[in-house]
Amino acid sequence: MKDAFNEKKITALTDVALITCVVQRGMADEVIKAARDAGAQGSTVFYARGYGVRERLGLLGVAVDVEKEVVNIVVSTDQANRIFEKMSVAAKMDTPGMGFMYMTHLDKAVTYIPPEVLEKLQPKC
Amino acid sequence: MGMGGEKEQVRYGDYLSRISVSFQKLSYNAITPRPELAPDGTEKPYSPPKVKLRVIDFYHILRPYIGSRLEEQLKAVVPLALYLVCFQTLVLRVNIEDPLVIFAGFVSVIGGLVLFMEGLKVGLMPLGEKLGDSLPAKASLPVFIIITFLIGVGVTFAEPAVGSLNIAGSMIKVENAPYLHALLNKWQWATVAAVGAGVGVSAVLGSLRFVHGWGLKPFILIATLPTLALTVYAMGDDRIKSVIGLAWDCGAVTTGPVTVPIVLSLGIGIARMAGKGDYPLSGFGIVTLASMIPVAAVLALAIYLAETVPAEQIIANANTAETSNSHASGNFFERPPFAEMLEGLQAVAPVVIFLLLIVRFVLREKFKEPQILAYGLTLTLLGMMLFSVGLTYGLSKLGAQYGALAPAAFTRIEGLEGSPLFNWWAGMLATVAFAGLLGFGATVAEPALSAIGMVVEDLTNGVYKKSFLIYSVSFGVGLGVIAGMLKIITGVPLAYLLIPGYALALILTVFSTEEFVNIAWDSAGVTTGEVTVPLVLVMGMGFSGALGIDDGFGILAMASLFPILTTLGAGLWIKWKISRSHL
Repeated sequence: MKDAFNEKKITALTDVALITCVVQRGMADEVIKAARDAGAQGSTVFYARGYGVRERLGLLGVAVDVEKEVVNIVVSTDQANRIFEKMSVAAKMDTPGMGFMYMTHLDKAVTYIPPEVLEKLQPKC
Repeated sequence: MGMGGEKEQVRYGDYLSRISVSFQKLSYNAITPRPELAPDGTEKPYSPPKVKLRVIDFYHILRPYIGSRLEEQLKAVVPLALYLVCFQTLVLRVNIEDPLVIFAGFVSVIGGLVLFMEGLKVGLMPLGEKLGDSLPAKASLPVFIIITFLIGVGVTFAEPAVGSLNIAGSMIKVENAPYLHALLNKWQWATVAAVGAGVGVSAVLGSLRFVHGWGLKPFILIATLPTLALTVYAMGDDRIKSVIGLAWDCGAVTTGPVTVPIVLSLGIGIARMAGKGDYPLSGFGIVTLASMIPVAAVLALAIYLAETVPAEQIIANANTAETSNSHASGNFFERPPFAEMLEGLQAVAPVVIFLLLIVRFVLREKFKEPQILAYGLTLTLLGMMLFSVGLTYGLSKLGAQYGALAPAAFTRIEGLEGSPLFNWWAGMLATVAFAGLLGFGATVAEPALSAIGMVVEDLTNGVYKKSFLIYSVSFGVGLGVIAGMLKIITGVPLAYLLIPGYALALILTVFSTEEFVNIAWDSAGVTTGEVTVPLVLVMGMGFSGALGIDDGFGILAMASLFPILTTLGAGLWIKWKISRSHL
């Protein structure tokens, strides 16, 4: 594994999936909690504005916030379906105006991996 | 993953897929529309049909919408009410009078606030923002100044806490303080108009400040010194001495949930137009002026009244008005609670109509979502009507009861057996400390303060923590309430506290940085909200009434002054600590 020219080593994770969940402002924490409880390791939230069902609800649209939170969670493919399911239940996705979520498969991902985990999984060749 | 001990190895993913809910698959292609062609061969733009909702969907959509807003108001109102009720029943051992009426009143306060705040958010605020965005571009400077001024006047009338002046007015004996009585009864509209004019002038000055990028410090000097001078003048005039407390309390009444956001959204729009919107504190300063200039306006009105109308005439007028009032209760709209509802409607309707007319005819702008705007404005009106009812039957009733009974802890009260309950010092200290804690607690929970705290933390790169600001302001409010109560108990004239207090604040201001001046002076105005103001105002009136003192005002004034001192002091202390650590 050791590269003679470059001491620096990058470990890329494979079998990763991205779950993106768009919810109303203030709802992200609940969704993230569900995902973390199901084993998700981290999450990123950013703010956005979104339109969709709100405009088709008429006056009831006031109950749906235009301001959204977009939750990005990277999970392993083994976890993916379970976390996706937990998140969709927590976000009450079956209710009109609550939001939208989807999962995409990722080619690879790089992040910090604790050295002891690396050592356990990749014994020195 | 914990499978080591088992003989048969199962892939974790397989295990998970077994215990999961089965997903039903549906092709999105089956749902999305196909392009339709109009008869002339061009493509018709797609417009989605309205969603058909089941009853359960209504429930699912509305429950979190109503729930979260209800929770917010419950958190603001219930602890305060419980605190007062506990003190009265546990410490003073007196049962609450008319508990059902008060309970219904508080339900109406909470319901009213839920409706009003939501209406403000979806109705009035967007109107204010639209105005702020396009008024400076479409109107000439004089037109702009006139409109800003009128909006300042209008929002003052719409402020929920202004209704409590009425109730406070009914608790004053005309013989003891004729001019104070006049300002709160016959001339009440003039008082509110004077306060409104003060807010209007502040809005204009604050907006001009944005356009020209002037600092706040000179403004504070220009606004504070004449106000203090008028106070000193009023001190020397026996006829209007009693008005000082009211005048300074009016400053706290004005800066509530309607004035602050609407005037701020105007100001921010202007700052954006002037290209100075990047300055993170650009919204600040108007609130400060709006809690100072109205004080001067009310004092000026009192001086004018004292010069033009003799006291004897006011007393005679008030007495005839009282007798005629007791006869005229047959009218439908003068009977409670319809009278209060009508009052609430009269308070908000003018500013709503004025804003609508300006946006429609001066700016000639169309409303993007007219039905949602209409919904918001309707909520504002309904909310204010409901709140006015609750103000009279809930907040004021409980506050007055508590205020009238609290002195029983340390002094003799007519008709209350066993009073004084404790010896003078212990009872007095307990009562005052209790009130101080009330002020502290109500302020810590104030959402507006938490919002300012965030800005401050960002601005100072975390040196001045959000919690630090919240606690220094809350501590100041607590101290202020204590000072106000002591003022009523000891009968020290308010001016003796105000003048040195503001002098000290001005000195601290000179030594503080521009940012802190903004934050400290504004936090004072923001802390006294729509629930605290009526409660404290009426509590003070009841308190002083029980002690046989006429002037029960001044607690709010103190509760506005002390946070300025504590916040400026804390800011200077941090500055000093940083400069020392860099040596």
